[in-house]
Amino acid sequence: MSTGINMKNTDLTEKLVDRCISLGADAAEVFLETKRNLSINVLKSEIETIEQASYQGVGFRVFIEGKMGFSHCNDFSSKSLDDTISKAIAFARLSTPDENNVLTDDKGITTIKDLYDPAITEEPMDKKIKMALDLEKLAMKDPRITKSAGAGYGEGESVIYIGNSNGLIKSYKSSGCSMGVSVVAEKGEQKNTGGEYCSRVFFSDLVPLEEIAAVASRKAIELLDPVMINTQKAAVIFDPDVAMALLRGVISAINGERVLQGASFLKEYLGRQIASPLLTLTDDGTIQKCLGSAPFDGEGVPTVKNVLVENGFLKSFIYNTKAAKRAGVKSTGNAARAGFSSLPGIGTHNVCVSTGKHTRDEIIAATKKGLFLLELTGYGIDSVSGNFSGGASGFWIENGELVHPVKGITIAGKAFEILNAIDMVGNDLDMNKINTAPTFRIAEMQIGGK
Amino acid sequence: MKIREYSVRDIPRRKFLELSMKGGLLIAATPALLTQLVSCQKGSVGLSGPGIDKDLAARVIAKALEKGGDFADIYLENRVSRQIVMEESKFKSGLYGISQGAGVRVVSGNKTGYAYTDEITEEKLMRAADVASYVALNSTPVSPVNISETTRPSFVTVSQPLGDIADEKRIEVIKRADQAVKDYDPRIKMAMIDYYDEVRSRIIANSEGIYIKDELPLLFFIVQAMSDDGKTRHMARERLSNHSGFEMFEKVTPETIARNAAREAIEMLKAEDAPAGIMDVVMQNGWGGVLVHEAVGHPLEADNISKGIGAFTGKIGQKVASDCFTMIDDGTLPNFRGTINFDDEGTEARRNVLIENGILKGFMTDILSSKQLNMTRTGNGRRESFRYIPIPRMTNTFIEKGKDNPADILSSTKKGIYVQSLSGGSVNPVTGVFNFTCRESYLIENGKKTNPIKGATLIGSCMDVISNIDAVGDDLEFGPGICGKGQSAEVTAGQPTVRIRGINVGGSKA
Repeated sequence: MSTGINMKNTDLTEKLVDRCISLGADAAEVFLETKRNLSINVLKSEIETIEQASYQGVGFRVFIEGKMGFSHCNDFSSKSLDDTISKAIAFARLSTPDENNVLTDDKGITTIKDLYDPAITEEPMDKKIKMALDLEKLAMKDPRITKSAGAGYGEGESVIYIGNSNGLIKSYKSSGCSMGVSVVAEKGEQKNTGGEYCSRVFFSDLVPLEEIAAVASRKAIELLDPVMINTQKAAVIFDPDVAMALLRGVISAINGERVLQGASFLKEYLGRQIASPLLTLTDDGTIQKCLGSAPFDGEGVPTVKNVLVENGFLKSFIYNTKAAKRAGVKSTGNAARAGFSSLPGIGTHNVCVSTGKHTRDEIIAATKKGLFLLELTGYGIDSVSGNFSGGASGFWIENGELVHPVKGITIAGKAFEILNAIDMVGNDLDMNKINTAPTFRIAEMQIGGK
Repeated sequence: MKIREYSVRDIPRRKFLELSMKGGLLIAATPALLTQLVSCQKGSVGLSGPGIDKDLAARVIAKALEKGGDFADIYLENRVSRQIVMEESKFKSGLYGISQGAGVRVVSGNKTGYAYTDEITEEKLMRAADVASYVALNSTPVSPVNISETTRPSFVTVSQPLGDIADEKRIEVIKRADQAVKDYDPRIKMAMIDYYDEVRSRIIANSEGIYIKDELPLLFFIVQAMSDDGKTRHMARERLSNHSGFEMFEKVTPETIARNAAREAIEMLKAEDAPAGIMDVVMQNGWGGVLVHEAVGHPLEADNISKGIGAFTGKIGQKVASDCFTMIDDGTLPNFRGTINFDDEGTEARRNVLIENGILKGFMTDILSSKQLNMTRTGNGRRESFRYIPIPRMTNTFIEKGKDNPADILSSTKKGIYVQSLSGGSVNPVTGVFNFTCRESYLIENGKKTNPIKGATLIGSCMDVISNIDAVGDDLEFGPGICGKGQSAEVTAGQPTVRIRGINVGGSKA
């Protein structure tokens, strides 16, 4: 199966929209997807697994008198397609009507360059295997690294076709590739793991293996010989790697549908200050060569750049077409789909915290006592209640210097207190990451230790 | 690549896409996301779709081993799923899915090649076999044995098959639950109800000569209730899931599930800030078993042991836990959510004692890791769908019941936290470091459960936690969950009431 945009699938998508209507739907949307992927894992200088496949699938969203039904299948025989459409229609009949069940008629497409790299497919398999093997070897170079937990290379490409009964028909193709490695450092009874990966739209943009390997190795080693600290309140500096683990809950809380349902701690805060003036948060689906970008969202609405939080003020919630209609606003282009088998929900593209003016070293130097947070476990801020609690490890800071690693501690707080306590933001933003933030400091949080 | 954190949740409605290697690709292939997606059960499935007969299976396996290799198998799956979601007393969606496909695997030494196709034709299967056989280049070919029909006992009984149930009946169950949530208390502002069922048919054939098939029904039902008293909010959750026919709702009514969720939602409105620091924890019987699922179960899966990196590597026969601690994985418990009859490699499900009175007895294996470790096959080779290779996974995993009276366990704990339910958690299988988020928990003061506290994180290391369990109740109970290890699997976790001394609790109050 070719994964170039092909007229056959464009035609099929349009025909299937018509088929939904002729089988009894008032309105219909067809989401068709073809995919190819490859994953190579190596362990101890040997291939562990090679997995590859091409596949396709189609999802039908149909409406009858404002009632919605959905079905999907991966068998493209006409009998199977007809059966599947009929199931969606039957389901719709049993459902409850909702005046907000509408489809977009926005025929626009945002032009975004470089979402697909033909070179990924052309690079030979042997080269990809060798890259994974070399990456593992490089990450094991330091004698303190005692074991490998594996290295890998992965790639994927897909073409998405969306058509609906408002006459909309759109498609685009995208690709991605990634490399990663994970290693173990042991010292006596201690064990610590460190991993790093790099994922890009273009094969030639993957960072040198040496860099990925060095980060994985450093992460495994740097937290050896931790010292336990006392339970106390202190500053917490978030490394860019863990910023999103905290902010995920904020992003969930700006989901327009949850806001309408009252299930968000931000439901009454549109236009109000929710965070320190140092916090600006955007979601941008239009960034060139970025894995989270797309010319249109999961319903076909063109993507845009949305400012969510500006200098601490909550500027916008995010919506798909249905939630937007209910809220009386326009879709923000945030219909998210996990592929052909899922309904459009609401999600972000590339979330980015704007940079501040400090270097990472300045932030550390300005901290009298606190935690430089490198790992955070748990679910982040709870999007309904705004409570936050997580497991933590990193470095302990005293008088502006990293004094020792610390593991097995907890940090906790409440969303508004945490967000308003951001008092320093770094200038170290990596725009190649899909959700990205610079280093930032929370003036004070509760830390749980001995 | 991160060391994949293994996680388990009490069946959330939304899954986060982890930005792991695979996640990165998934994002590349599907736009947007990263944050939440509307619940997409990975499910698919198809009625009695096209099968493959023994002869075709034999030809595909012969092709797979043409270049060499030690073992080959073919896994064909057909899954029909239905999902109905109600939010704010309105049907948000009805979803019907059919998915079918087949995967061909070749194992050569420690190497595994895998390819799958969603078109079940001889041509496509042969091509998958050819692609999968890449890893066996330059090895010595083996000749497959003859394939013959194999049967295994079934632990799943069905009196009302899902295929015979009209959609109206599914909808009625949802409406009843919605009503019961709303009737519970005026402070309940919303119910969110997820109904899901599937029938998954499997055919498995391999170069050792087995050809086996079956059909597993699965039901799950999740009720979330949101309370709001103007000051604070809580989203509560209760679930029910079995490999069963529709009779599941006669044994436990939708109203029971709904009222349990509503009770938690109201109770937690009173929650105060949790304390921070190291303290004793009493875990109520049931889903709390997820803590040992994560902390001990994952590290006992044999894949990381055979790689020599797992936390329990080389510890068989050694004392790893306190005397009162026995842990079992059992894929044969009648109709349980984690029950499998046989695993996705065709190995019969069994009861596996993992730790007995504190002594490490065994690991959970799949075919590859059992060969690498020279251990028996325990029937734990599972996969999410035909798109995945089988890996060692848990089924129904639990702490065996002990001798203590649950009331005595509480009353003999002077100060600490009483955990009634956990949301879920994760573990690093190499270091054994885990974390859990409490959903409903209380302070223990002078041996009594007092005020509810806001969701705190519990953290620790697996070796410490099982050594620090000092009381095990006689009230074993289970709860259903979704376990994630790069691919998801349906499981149950269980335990009697237990006490763990000295866990670090992440509260916001000193």
